[in-house]
Amino acid sequence: MVERAVARETIFALRREIAKIEGVLADRLEPPPGRSGIADGVFVRRDGRAVENGRPSLLRTGADAFDAVLGGGLPRAGLVEIHGKETRDAGAVAGFTLALASLLLKEGTDGPLLWIGTADIFHETGFPYLPGLHARFGIGPETILFARPRQLRDALWIAEEAARLKALSAVFLEIGGSPHQLDFTATRRLHRRALQAERPLFLLREAGFAEPTAAPLRLILAPAGARPRSTLAGPLANSIGPPSFVVGIDKSRNAPSRQFILEWDAAECSFREGRREDHGTENIGVMVSASRHGQDPAPPAGAVLAFPARAGPTGRNAPPRQPSRGQRKAHRGA
Amino acid sequence: MHPGIEIVEADPTAERRLLESLADWCDRYTPLVALDGEDGLFLDTTGCAHLFGGERSMLDELLACFLRLGFDARAGLASTVGAAWAAARFFASRIVEAGEEEAFLTPLPLAALRIDASVRAGLEGVGLRTAGAVMSTPRAPLARRFGRELLLRMDQALGRLEETISPRRPAPPLAVERRLAEPIVAMEAVEHLVGQLAVTLRSDLERRGEGARALELALFRVDGAVSRVGVGAARPLREPDRIGLLFHERLAVLEDRIDAGFGFDLVRLSAFSLAPFEARQADLSGEDASGEERLALFADRIRARLGDHAVLKAVSVESHLPERAVAAVPFAGKIAMHEITPCPVPSPQGGRGFCSGIRRRTSTALARETAAASPSSLWGADRDGGKKSYLPDRPIRLFSSPEPIEAIAAEVPEGAPASFRWRRVFHRVAASEGPERIAPEWWRADGSEGTRDYFRVEDEEGRRFWLYRQGLYGELPQGPRWFMHGIFA
Repeated sequence: MVERAVARETIFALRREIAKIEGVLADRLEPPPGRSGIADGVFVRRDGRAVENGRPSLLRTGADAFDAVLGGGLPRAGLVEIHGKETRDAGAVAGFTLALASLLLKEGTDGPLLWIGTADIFHETGFPYLPGLHARFGIGPETILFARPRQLRDALWIAEEAARLKALSAVFLEIGGSPHQLDFTATRRLHRRALQAERPLFLLREAGFAEPTAAPLRLILAPAGARPRSTLAGPLANSIGPPSFVVGIDKSRNAPSRQFILEWDAAECSFREGRREDHGTENIGVMVSASRHGQDPAPPAGAVLAFPARAGPTGRNAPPRQPSRGQRKAHRGA
Repeated sequence: MHPGIEIVEADPTAERRLLESLADWCDRYTPLVALDGEDGLFLDTTGCAHLFGGERSMLDELLACFLRLGFDARAGLASTVGAAWAAARFFASRIVEAGEEEAFLTPLPLAALRIDASVRAGLEGVGLRTAGAVMSTPRAPLARRFGRELLLRMDQALGRLEETISPRRPAPPLAVERRLAEPIVAMEAVEHLVGQLAVTLRSDLERRGEGARALELALFRVDGAVSRVGVGAARPLREPDRIGLLFHERLAVLEDRIDAGFGFDLVRLSAFSLAPFEARQADLSGEDASGEERLALFADRIRARLGDHAVLKAVSVESHLPERAVAAVPFAGKIAMHEITPCPVPSPQGGRGFCSGIRRRTSTALARETAAASPSSLWGADRDGGKKSYLPDRPIRLFSSPEPIEAIAAEVPEGAPASFRWRRVFHRVAASEGPERIAPEWWRADGSEGTRDYFRVEDEEGRRFWLYRQGLYGELPQGPRWFMHGIFA
């Protein structure tokens, strides 16, 4: 018995190693003996717990490359951090998260969303506006609730209470900056509760630093120029089409650090990959015709490129997109 | 003047406050306490005296307590308001038995009848100097000469006419209380006591088939101060642990504001608003709370702790002005859009809709349509596509007050700026759409502001904003002003 267990552990360790090299989901393990009824013979374990086969554990966004890098999609339960570099990017951060919520609602998750934010952050970035949510994301007045406490401490309390409610389909917690109350312990509590309730908790952080948190996934959002509206006669010049986002994977257990341009299709209620050449707004600089056989001209300054995939999740010495811990005042003195 | 006299200005408001605090304290004897002028209190003790061992001992205890608090009080007890008033003012702690009012009032001076000074002077002028003399006089000439007020007061004092006092606070339909021999100080003890009281309250609620929607906890401090803590519930409550949970949240916030002092010696839990309680069969697993119920309890707890406006739900309001089109109302446990708030300021002639996309309706038709409209039809489109009708593009976040921006090189007469400065940051516009003109609501008094021309603009980094120009070119010498109103996804 012991030998079998040891052997299985070894196999698991080896599989994990292979998965890491291949850059796919590491938690794909064989079913334990005595457990049958799993169709493809693959048993998915997430955070130490078996995930039932019937309900997919990952939320597919519809953008295939993005989903594949994340190992199938975003987690449906637990904490997901969504950062914006500046407060001005609040539109992109909120828009991307609302799109995820819209995906959840499309699949028939019952219960409303709850959007928690302190009065300060709602004052600074604007209160969520229902007609806009409805027009773009199909979130009507009966599917969203708001909590606007004055203090961050109260916002965290509401979030902790809301995270363990199954009656809510998702919880948004919007925080500005990097408050010390939101430390590893606080995020861990949020994460564990959300895991237990099997509901996602999106932590929206405006102008926050990447800090050690318990969230298994951290995305960094930036706005991307929208394509022009498409008409029957071709793209309409100087118009603003569906919203698109630059989504950077900053922290993930198995995905390499990469950036994607995703575009939200409200009619299909799905994401799709935005193509770089479609970006009219980025090609404002000097236009150079492409050389026929040689290399492509250097991309214009400020363009967004996908970083090459790195070997493992530890390779984090890329050009910093966010100030690292060392650049923070608090750590500098230490 | 005597040098030892200390002169203090009269402060009627402070005296009033003192009297009200005494009335609060008297709540421990009966829920029906009313103020009487500047120096008196009425207590309706019907059905309360037996709790204190009879009328005499209740009166004695009350007077003893007032003496301990440092007040020289006089009390009278009678079956009618008028007789009790006279007993308190002309005797010390006199109890007038029912039916003896006339004999009691007969020897008293006219002042015992609660009549105006002018009427009293008139009566004394004709030689009627005691209440008994007035009562034995024929009524018709009295009424003719001195008015109906005199007879009314007399009849009320004698119990021929019903007189009620108007209590300061609404009397709760149900209340449970506990008197403590040893005053309690710790909030944990108070919470524990609330749980015990709620158990008692449940049996009363079960007998009536009702649940409580508003509860109040009154903490009577030994030195006379009364603290009241109220919680509300979205659905009728009966379960002691839920009631305890709500008070736990409320007391957690109020803990530093409630001063226990030397302790509380009386704790009362009153149920104010009762509603029929739907009993539901619990299943075998014991999970009897549905999702909606849990949500309602969650919202109740947040409201108990952080106030009514901590959890909001957005409702649409009939207005084409973006900032008025949505109102945030406190979430009361029901997410369904059955009740739709009517337009806060309905248009007088029913004229509405300056911009395209807003349907034109009269206000009577609006009421009918609102009653019949399902949420989805109200929103103009189904949530799967939004293709049914034209919905104008609206931002996902809207600033509560539009922020002024500095627009540079805007196209004249109507066009978006080439660049702008917002919150001291320069944005260069890469693409823009618009204008969409939204006029102010002329039926409002403050409709003096100009029309707004809204533009969707995208800056070079891809951020999408909703800007507007207030007014037109040429209206003001310095040109129209520009504002930032919202952020798109």
